[in-house]
Amino acid sequence: MKAGKQLWRTFGPVLVAVIAALALFATPWRGLKINSQTLKEATVSLSTNVYRGEKIKDVALNDNYVPFIGSSELSRMDAMHPSVLAAKYKRGYQTLLLGGPGSQSLNHYFTIQEMSAQLRNKKVVYVISPQWFTPKGQRPDAFGYYYSALQATDWLLQAKNTKADRYAAQRLLAMPSGTSSLLIENATKKIAAGRRLSAVEKLMLTQKQVILKNEDALFSTLDLDNNWEHIKQETKKLPATDNERLLNQVAVKQAQQETTNNEFNIKDSFFKKELRGGRRLPRLKDSQVRFDYRRSPEYADFQLVLQQLAALNCQVEFVLPPINQRWVDYTGLNMTMWRQTTKKIKQQLLNQGFTNIDDLSEDGNQAYYMEDTIHIGWRGWLRMDQSVRPFLTETQAQPDYQISDYYLSPAWQQKIVK
Amino acid sequence: MPVINLQPYSSPRYFLILLLGLLPIMIGLYHGKRFRVYETIFSLVFLVLTFGGDHWQQGVALIIYIAYQFILTLAYVHYRKTRNQTGVFVGAVLLAILPLTVVKFTPFLAGGKITLGFLGISYLTFKTVQVVMEVRDGTIKDFDWKLYLHFLLFFPTISSGPIDRYRRFKKDYETIPDRSAYLEDLEKAVHYLFLGFFYKFILGYLFGTLWLPSLQHWALMQRHAFGGLGLSWALLGYMYDYSMYLFFDFAGYSLFAIAISYFMGIKTPPNFNKPFAAGNIKEFWNRWHMTLSFWFRDFIFMRFTFWFMKKRWIKNRIRISQIAYLVNFLIMGFWHGLTWYYIVYGLFHACAIIINDIWLRYKKKHQAQIPSNKFTKGFSVFLTFNVVCFSFLIFSGILDKLWFM
Repeated sequence: MKAGKQLWRTFGPVLVAVIAALALFATPWRGLKINSQTLKEATVSLSTNVYRGEKIKDVALNDNYVPFIGSSELSRMDAMHPSVLAAKYKRGYQTLLLGGPGSQSLNHYFTIQEMSAQLRNKKVVYVISPQWFTPKGQRPDAFGYYYSALQATDWLLQAKNTKADRYAAQRLLAMPSGTSSLLIENATKKIAAGRRLSAVEKLMLTQKQVILKNEDALFSTLDLDNNWEHIKQETKKLPATDNERLLNQVAVKQAQQETTNNEFNIKDSFFKKELRGGRRLPRLKDSQVRFDYRRSPEYADFQLVLQQLAALNCQVEFVLPPINQRWVDYTGLNMTMWRQTTKKIKQQLLNQGFTNIDDLSEDGNQAYYMEDTIHIGWRGWLRMDQSVRPFLTETQAQPDYQISDYYLSPAWQQKIVK
Repeated sequence: MPVINLQPYSSPRYFLILLLGLLPIMIGLYHGKRFRVYETIFSLVFLVLTFGGDHWQQGVALIIYIAYQFILTLAYVHYRKTRNQTGVFVGAVLLAILPLTVVKFTPFLAGGKITLGFLGISYLTFKTVQVVMEVRDGTIKDFDWKLYLHFLLFFPTISSGPIDRYRRFKKDYETIPDRSAYLEDLEKAVHYLFLGFFYKFILGYLFGTLWLPSLQHWALMQRHAFGGLGLSWALLGYMYDYSMYLFFDFAGYSLFAIAISYFMGIKTPPNFNKPFAAGNIKEFWNRWHMTLSFWFRDFIFMRFTFWFMKKRWIKNRIRISQIAYLVNFLIMGFWHGLTWYYIVYGLFHACAIIINDIWLRYKKKHQAQIPSNKFTKGFSVFLTFNVVCFSFLIFSGILDKLWFM
């Protein structure tokens, strides 16, 4: 039959393509195995692929990786950076870096709940940036950069009618990326209204989840930033033994070499690039006088993270980083406001049973604690390591969390703690 | 109540549903039959999917628009049977353009707060104006209102073209291809469909989703460069990347529309023919968004030229064609939208094509002295490509963000 043959010639390849695509994306399979080298590169790559995805995080957590959650300071990879220390010395853990410029509590909440199963009863290091707590909180465009539909589907399929989940749903709907898929948007609206998802919605979300997981497993290791090579180079600068005094010497030496062109003890390259070698300075003089981190929706977003970590019974070390004192003096940041901010954050933590806090917020005048204006580096990393190392290498007491929904309320968001 | 809305050609799900719905039509055509009732219902379902759900306002706008154009065209057809006054004709054309004009002006006047209209209103206007004009010419005589509605609402092309012609559509719709011809159509349809996937979802994704945002970011970061003009290498990269994105995204989209039409036994005309291989700007417009530029050629440029010649306002033919180009591209600019960069884009192309004409005339006169070889041909393609990419840089609106925001 000539016509039949021609039909097959036309549609046969289409059929094969459709079946192959369905097999690749729509059937649950685990994707390719991730080897340890890829894992090493991926966990320090700070790539959004990793942050938004699932596979690499899961594999890393099943190994001996500890999530270091934060934002732009994680990319300050000098020799004292936690990843370099973990790579150099046999400490029994490696770092899974999660976060980048613009990632804040709300993104972290979604990325943490995405790894719920693997994170239960584990340890986490969480670097807080007071700079997140602006009057408007999370910037929608930055949220979109770190958001993924996979995070959203994972979250929706386990969301319950709790205050926290309803609040998270409202926050998600306030972000443009949260409404980019109709299915996710409608389901999120239901959760926000305290309603249950229908069986059809659950089925469609599960199907979407399968496809997204396969995409993640196939593509998230592609195009990773190669920080691992840099970290290997940095380890060569470290002393052979894991010794505080020796490390301090190296830190001071490296810092001295790299801060020569300005009076702020800011790393030369940062001063040259971000501050145009000082040309941008006049504009920044007293530019931060009115900055206020005390009232912010970020406090409630942060609470989402806390209740999630508590629900997973995680042991968490919180780091409150310092701020470059010389820079504060120049830009006029209000230190009373700064202290009230850290006090409020600590109150939120301590009142709910998060007692592991490394508060460095008053150490901004210590030499070489800061790599630039607000980012920790060199001796600052070492100072942080003094609490992080024992926290991660020694057995910690079972946490006893008492989570309160009060910290989600507008009253708390707007409260000034004096 | 779950809201159902499917944006045309946007997801694998859309294509699966579409192909399943097409299956009865294809089986019918294979056996030499056109199931008109099924086809109508199928088209309506897809129109509801596109303009229903949370886009229902668009659906209402579409229904009002179609009713308006339908009455207008029927009235003009009726009038034209007995009389033929220019004033009435001009009035009918103006009335046909009126809804589009209102839709384009409202956001401008209301400061972007109100948007009327629906996806594809600009493309429908081309179809309605064209019919009014051809009725006036007398080339459309036996006006079939059912077919007219089918032509307007032909869903594969409703949102973004290609812009078909009534008489051509009618011929395809009424003649059913024999089996071997239809099998060839199907083969072409599958080819167009998959080429469309490659263009829109792979190349368009690379240029548009992966690279464009970061190039735009870098370009905007350097807004202070070059004495505040913001000219940077990133902007240059943006220009080429945007041009590629525009082509592959739009050409992919057009290919989908053509493929689906072919499945339905309608040979919707092609929209692109290797535009970046054009050797001059005139040739470019014969290869880029062809159904649009041919429409403008037939219904604006030609008519304007004839009208000017008839009235003898200007004797010089060269002058007339230059004015016609200006009018032609200015209208095209306005059609894209009421922003300075669309209008400048139109003017830029008008100037480019006028200069090109001057050059072609000069070249003809001095054929002996001007070399023509592989190198000059390659150079002309290169030059045309860059001129076009520059025009797309204007078109993209990034200069607006760079300079005025």
